[in-house]
Amino acid sequence: MSETRIIDVGEGAAIPSKTDWGLFNAWTISIVFAISTIFYLIVFEPAPYKRIILYLSDGVIITFEVTIISIICACIIGLITGLGRVSKNKAINLLASTYVEIIRGIPLLVQLFYIYYALGRLLNVHDLTAAVIAMSVCYGAYMGEVFRAGITAIDKGQSEAARSLGFNTKQTMFLVILPQAWRTILPPVGNEFIALLKDTSLVSILAVSDLLRRGREFSSETFLYFETFTMVALVYLVITLLLSKGVSLMEARLSHYVRH
Amino acid sequence: MSATSAPSTLPIVDIRHVSKSFGALKALNNVSMSMSLGEKVVIIGPSGSGKSTLLRSINKLETVDSGTIIVDGLDINAPATDINKLRMELGMVFQSFNLFPHKTVLENLTLAPMKLKGMSRAEADEMGLKLLDKVGIMEKAHVYPSKLSGGQQQRVAIARALAMSPKIMLFDEPTRALDPEMIGEVLDVMVTLAREGMTMAVVTHEMGFAREVADRVVFMDHGGIIEEGTPEHFFKSPEHDRTKLFLSQIL
Repeated sequence: MSETRIIDVGEGAAIPSKTDWGLFNAWTISIVFAISTIFYLIVFEPAPYKRIILYLSDGVIITFEVTIISIICACIIGLITGLGRVSKNKAINLLASTYVEIIRGIPLLVQLFYIYYALGRLLNVHDLTAAVIAMSVCYGAYMGEVFRAGITAIDKGQSEAARSLGFNTKQTMFLVILPQAWRTILPPVGNEFIALLKDTSLVSILAVSDLLRRGREFSSETFLYFETFTMVALVYLVITLLLSKGVSLMEARLSHYVRH
Repeated sequence: MSATSAPSTLPIVDIRHVSKSFGALKALNNVSMSMSLGEKVVIIGPSGSGKSTLLRSINKLETVDSGTIIVDGLDINAPATDINKLRMELGMVFQSFNLFPHKTVLENLTLAPMKLKGMSRAEADEMGLKLLDKVGIMEKAHVYPSKLSGGQQQRVAIARALAMSPKIMLFDEPTRALDPEMIGEVLDVMVTLAREGMTMAVVTHEMGFAREVADRVVFMDHGGIIEEGTPEHFFKSPEHDRTKLFLSQIL
């Protein structure tokens, strides 16, 4: 019974909530530190840092693009996979489970190379598209497991009550089970979002000009390694902290009906 | 009570030679039982006797291994039977209430009529409020179930089942999860419902309710029906030894 309620929180940055005093304040300290450091460097040391941040800005946009499109695609793939994993149809269940097993068994970096060279070179798919596909396929499998755990954590009595009223399995899932599952699913899904954001740095290995790749390009031209990667790290930190805050706000909104 | 609402002879539920096993455990062993329209049947028995399984097999929350169950003229296990449509005729109340926590009390009542019967929100709200009034908690219409007591939640659950205007109501130990002081308020609602002529199958340990409301009491043990009869007969002069033993333990 209690086993099914455990949801694997996975890796990724912690999501701050007001009930977690330490984390909430750590979040505030980190964001103030990161933003003020960036501003300090740009204003008082504009010689390298202003040039660096301008050079990196294109990369930030690419990183955002890859992250957001991949998150949306991974959520859709994850929902379908999660529903497949709880399906009573054996063929669908096996298909979804096999997908999860294969994807989880291969490192993301290898998947990136594979999809990049298999699709990118053979089928002439655009670099950025190949990167997004690889990220989505990989994180779709992880999110599928989160969705599955969230769905199975809902008490069996809920689906029995819905079925006894006359709802079919699909209506039961979409009207009764999933609306409740979002609440338990959101924290681990938020963790996946943040892990995905950070893992987009891997696409810099391919010919995708994301934040990290722009940093590598700039530093190899100017030899300003320390300055460049300080800025790259701070920018990643700010984006990650903002995303985790966004997730915690969504969480607070979704939990309204369990508050007493 | 039972004398005033004489049951009609038309069987609305007809259970014939039903068996069901959970692994090695035989939950139902060749059980046959029928119910007429308007009849109130109370099923009692020790835990593990198969009474909940029997009740849950009437709306196919449990699928039986063999035998047939006819509800309102339809074989519920026949491939041609639309079980979802048939379930609309069968209201069910659970031991653990099972209200939808993400919906307000009123939304719990209106969800199924709106989605399944195409009722407009205005119609559904009006009907929902009427039903909440009937179970005595209209003032809680817009709160979430987590803010209600167990007794209130169970009354909402009864109203939710009634919102589909079922022909039969199935009650699976509706007062078992309740604190003693809340049992009365739920039983009151059920007694009212019985007086209005609802066909009811009730699994319960509330012998007072059985005495007052039942047209027929069915005693189950080890997956079979041991004895059945009117409450007068059943409580005053039970025939079977196991029935006598059970009654002596519980009364």
